[in-house]
Amino acid sequence: MRIALCSTFVPFIYGGARNIVEWLQVMLERQGHTVERVYLPEVDAPDLLFQQMAALRWIDLSAADRVICFRPQAHLIRHPHKILWFIHHIRSFYDLWDTPYRGFPDNAKYRGVRDALRAADNAALAEAKQVFTNSRVVSERLKKYNGVDSEILYPPVFDSERFECRSFNDEVVYICRMEHHKRQHLLIEAMSHVKTAVRIRLCGRSGDVSYADHLRALIQKHRLDDKVTIEDRWISEEEKVELLADCLAAAYLPLDEDSYGYPSLEASHASKPILTTLDSGGVMELVSDGDNGYVADPDPRSVADALDKFYMQRDETRRMGVRAAARLDELKISWTHVLERLLA
Amino acid sequence: MKVLIVNNMAPFVWGGAEELAANLERNLILAGHQAEILRVPFQWEPAEAIPTQMLMMRAFELWNVDRVIALKFPAYLIRHPHKTLWLVHQYRQAYDLFDAGQTNLPPGEQGEALRSMIREADQQAFAEMRSIYTISDVTKARLARYNGREANVLVPPVNDPERFIGGESQGYVLAAGRVNAMKRQHLLVEAMRYTSPKTKLLVAGPPDSAADADALQRLVDQHDLGDRVKLDLRFLSRDEYAAYVNGAQAVAYVPYDEDALAYVTMEASQAGKALISACDSGGVLGLARHGETGWVAMPHPEALAGVLDQAFADSRRTQAYGDGARERLHAMDINWPSTVGMLLQ
Amino acid sequence: MNIVIFAPGLKASAIGRMTGLLVRELSAQGHTVVLIRSEEKVLLSAVPQSFSVEVIDWLQTSAVDAACAQADAIVHQIGDNYHYHYGSLEWLSKYPSVVCLHDFYLGNLFFQWAQTHMAEAEQALLHWYGAGSNKKFFEYSHRQDFIELTCAAMPMTEWLCAMASAVITHSSWGIKRVLDSCAGPVRAVPLAYEVPAWDGESAVSNAEAHADGEPFNILTIGNVNANKRAASVIRALAQSEKLRRSAVFRLVGQCDTLKALELSALARNLGVNLVISGPVDDDVLAVIVRGADVVSCLRWPSLEAASASAIEAMLHCKPVVVTNVGFYREIPSDHVVHIDPDNEIDSLCKALEWLHAEPEARLALGRRAQAWASQQFTAAGYCRALLGVVDDMHMAAPILHSMRFFAQALSDWKTDTRWLGTSLALDPIRSLLGTTA
Repeated sequence: MRIALCSTFVPFIYGGARNIVEWLQVMLERQGHTVERVYLPEVDAPDLLFQQMAALRWIDLSAADRVICFRPQAHLIRHPHKILWFIHHIRSFYDLWDTPYRGFPDNAKYRGVRDALRAADNAALAEAKQVFTNSRVVSERLKKYNGVDSEILYPPVFDSERFECRSFNDEVVYICRMEHHKRQHLLIEAMSHVKTAVRIRLCGRSGDVSYADHLRALIQKHRLDDKVTIEDRWISEEEKVELLADCLAAAYLPLDEDSYGYPSLEASHASKPILTTLDSGGVMELVSDGDNGYVADPDPRSVADALDKFYMQRDETRRMGVRAAARLDELKISWTHVLERLLA
Repeated sequence: MKVLIVNNMAPFVWGGAEELAANLERNLILAGHQAEILRVPFQWEPAEAIPTQMLMMRAFELWNVDRVIALKFPAYLIRHPHKTLWLVHQYRQAYDLFDAGQTNLPPGEQGEALRSMIREADQQAFAEMRSIYTISDVTKARLARYNGREANVLVPPVNDPERFIGGESQGYVLAAGRVNAMKRQHLLVEAMRYTSPKTKLLVAGPPDSAADADALQRLVDQHDLGDRVKLDLRFLSRDEYAAYVNGAQAVAYVPYDEDALAYVTMEASQAGKALISACDSGGVLGLARHGETGWVAMPHPEALAGVLDQAFADSRRTQAYGDGARERLHAMDINWPSTVGMLLQ
Repeated sequence: MNIVIFAPGLKASAIGRMTGLLVRELSAQGHTVVLIRSEEKVLLSAVPQSFSVEVIDWLQTSAVDAACAQADAIVHQIGDNYHYHYGSLEWLSKYPSVVCLHDFYLGNLFFQWAQTHMAEAEQALLHWYGAGSNKKFFEYSHRQDFIELTCAAMPMTEWLCAMASAVITHSSWGIKRVLDSCAGPVRAVPLAYEVPAWDGESAVSNAEAHADGEPFNILTIGNVNANKRAASVIRALAQSEKLRRSAVFRLVGQCDTLKALELSALARNLGVNLVISGPVDDDVLAVIVRGADVVSCLRWPSLEAASASAIEAMLHCKPVVVTNVGFYREIPSDHVVHIDPDNEIDSLCKALEWLHAEPEARLALGRRAQAWASQQFTAAGYCRALLGVVDDMHMAAPILHSMRFFAQALSDWKTDTRWLGTSLALDPIRSLLGTTA
C-alpha cells in the first residue's frame, strides 16, 4: 500500500511527535508498504493559523492509498481514506483556554478564533475514516470538545527488544530531557528525606541552562553530591539500554502530561518498576501503585518513601518490574497491534 | 546555522532533485550546520490546481530557520527573509516547454492567465532572493532569457568522489544512467551493428519502465549483438556502479538536450575515463569536448559507431582524453565544500 | 462587551432614534456602549437626543480610535442619507464592523459621497455593475427619475456591504445583493421599534363611532413622494360611491407645493375628500394616528429594508394597507391587507370598502397587527440578534483574514483575486467554515 504519513513540524525542533511518525514509517516499510513522510511547517500563532490551515486543505495527496495524520493541524489534510492518530489539539484553544498558558486575551476576537478553529476541527475530524489517539486524556478531550469517539492506540517505542533486565543496583534513574515540568527537582528534594542508601541518576539534555543550574544548586544546598549523579547531556540509545538494564527502578515525574511517556515505557521493557506521582497525568494510565511501580504524592517526603521502598523491598521491586513488562501486553502497546489497527 | 532546504515532493517518486537535496543536507551537516529538508507535495495535474499550490507555499510560516535554500518551483515561493535559490528548474511548461508546444496549461485565456501568474510569482520570488544560482548553464540561460535574471552556475558536485578512482580498462564502453527513450541508450545499441568486432558495450542502469528495458533487449536480439552488448538493466548499488565506471574503456552518455553536466559524465571524468557524447546532448557538452576529453558525434548509429571504435583504436589516446576529462572537471572546482560555501555566502 | 455604535445623533433621524432604543437595551444588559455621532460636520452642532452613554463625534479622531481599539464590536447604523452617515463612510473601512443596513437602495448616499471620491466611485461601479455603469450612473443622476432608473440595476448595496465584516438588515427581499458582497455573516432582523405608551383602546371607540356615519379616516404618513401612491388612493376612493361619500384621506408630512396642487386637483375632480396636513410634530402626529381608521403604507417602488410608518401604525393597533412587495410582503397576510401592485386601484378600492363596512374586522385586524408587531419589532430581540451576529463575525474573521492574505498574494502576482472564488480554490477550504460539535 502507498501510505503518506502526514504531520506538522517546526524545523530543527525534534520531539516525540517526530518519533511516532518516523518509527511507524520504519515499521510500515518493514511490512513492505511504500511510505512517504509529509512534514509541513506550522506555527500556532492565532493570526497566522487559518492561512496555514487553508494551505493544508489545498495539498493533493491523491497519489496515496491512505494517509495517516499526526500533529495538528495535519488532520485537516484532505484524503478519501484519512486515518488520524491524533496526538493533541492546539491546546491553547482547548483545554488550556482557561489557564495562564492561553497566551492571548479572552476577548471577542480570540473567542472567535477559538470557535472557528473548533468548528474547522470538527469538520476535519468528521472526514476521517477512523480516529485514534495516543492516550486516554486526548481521547477524553476529543469527546468533550469535539464530540468525537476515538480509539486509544498507545505509541510503542522503537525496537523494544533492545531493552533487557540484567540486575538491580542501588540507583533509581530518571532518563528524560531536563525541564521544569518534568520535575527533576522533586526527585532531588526527595533525596534529602531518604533513610536508605538509595541513589538517583538524572540523565538528559536540559532544555534551558538555568534549570540545570537550579538542579545543581539544589544538590549543593542539600549536600547530596554523593547520592545524586547528574548528566546534563544527550544520552545515546545504547547508554539508555545499559542504564535501564542495571538500575533499581526508573522515575518519571512530569506534571500533568498527556501520555504515559517514553521513559516509563522503556523502563517497562527493561522490566523495571516506575516511580511517578498522582498528578502526572497520562503516566497514571500505565502505572498502578504497588503493581508495576509506586504512585507517590507530589511532595518530597512521599517520593522519598517510595525510593526507600524500592531499596528495602528488593523482592517486591523485582516482582513489580516483571509486572511492568506484563502491563505493556495488557495495554496492547506493541507495533503489531498498531499496524493491525492502522491498516484495518 | 540552521539551514532549511526547501524542495517539492511528487509523492512516492524519488528523483534527481530529491537526491540533490539529500546530498546538500548531508554536506551542510558535514560543514558544521544544522540542516533539514522541507518537501512540499506538488501535483501539476490538473494545471488549474497549480495556483492553490503556489498560494500554499506563500502560506507556510518558517520559524526557527536562519537560511533557506530553495530548489524548484513552487517550493521557492516560500516566504523567508534569507532565501537563496539554487535553481534546478522553473515550471518549464510555462516557459521553454510552452514555446515548444509541450505544455499542460489549458489553451486560451485561462492558460494565459495561469502562465502570467506563474511568471509574475517567479519574478517576485526571484526578487526576494539574496542570491541566485542555477545547477547548469541551460537553466542559467533560460532564467536570463525568460526572466531577465542573472545567475551563477553551481554544478551539483559528485557526492562520493572517493569511489571513482579509475583503473584498468576491462574492455567495454559503459552506457550508464537511467534507461529511457530520452537518454537514448538505443542509439548506442544500434551503433553496435556497425562497429568492429572487438568493440564492446555495457548498458547498465535502472529502466524507467519495463517497456524501456524490453526495447533494448529486442534490439540486441534482433541484431544478434548478444556477444558484444551486455545489458544490466536494474538499480545498481553505488559500489556496483562505481566498479563499472572504474573498469570502463570509456563512458558514453548521449541523452537528448540534457540540462546539466550530468552525474554520469562527472563521475566518469572523476574516474579519468574518456567521454562519448552526442552533439545535441546539451549540458553534458560542458565536459564532453571532442578531441580533448573524448568524442562528440552526430546522434546517429553510424556516427556513434565510428567513435565507439575509436575508443578502442588507440588506448593511449583514450587514456589521454580520460585524463583531460578529470582535469577539466577539477578545473571547474565542483566539490561540496565550496558549493556549500557559495550557497551560504 | 464593549460596543461602539456609529449613528446620527440628531433627533430628526429615525435611525438615530432607533439607535437610542438599542443603546438603552444594551446598557441595561450590562454592555458598555460608546455612541459616535456620524452626521456631517455642520449638523454636529445640533443638540443630539439623549443617549445616556458616552457620545463622541466622528471627527474626534483619537477618541474614536481609542474607543474602537477597545471594542469587541463596532456597529454602523446606515441608511440612504449622506448627511446623516458621512462619518460612517469615513470610518467604516478602518475597523472590521457590523453594518446595520436600513435601506437596500443607497444611490443617494453613494452619489454624494462620489463627489469627493470620483476615482473610487467609478471603480466600485465598474466592479459591481460592469462596463459602462460608471457613465450611466452619473448620467441618470441628473434626471428626475434617478431613483427609478438606478434602483433595480445599480442600487449600490454591494458597494457599502463589501466594506462590512457583517451585515444586519431588516427584511429579506433585497438581501441577495448583501450576501453577494459581504464576505462575513448576514442576517435579516426585524427593526427595533419603541412600543407606544398608548394601548389602542381608543381604536375600539373609534371603530364603534363609525356606526353612525362619522367620517372614515385614511392616513398616509411621511414625505409625500410619488412612491407613496397618494394618487392611487384618491382614485380608489373615487371608484366607490360609499367611500367617496364618507372617507377623508389625510397626508401628513413634507409635501412640495407642486405635488400638493396636483393631488388637490385630482381629488377635487374625482370628488374625494383630501386633507394635506404638511409636517407636524410628534404629539400632533400621535393624535392624528389615533384618529385614523386605516393607515395606507403603499409603496412603489419599494426601497426600504423596513418601514417605520407601517410598524408604527401596527403598534398603534391600526389596520394597515400595504403593497404586496419588498418588506411589506414579509408581513404575515392576516396582520395587514396586501394590495396587488399590478391591480392596485381595484384591489385597494375593494380592501377599503371592506374595512369601511366591517368595523369589527377592522378592529380585529388592528389588534392582531399590534400583538404581532409588539413581539416582532423589539429592541431586546434586535440586540440578541446583533450580539449573535457579532459572535459570528468574530468567528468568520480568521477565515476572512486568511482570504485577504491570499488575495494580496494574488494581486502581487497581478492575478485577478476573484480566482479565489473558483471551486478549485474554494471547495477544499469550505470546511474551514466548519460544523459545530
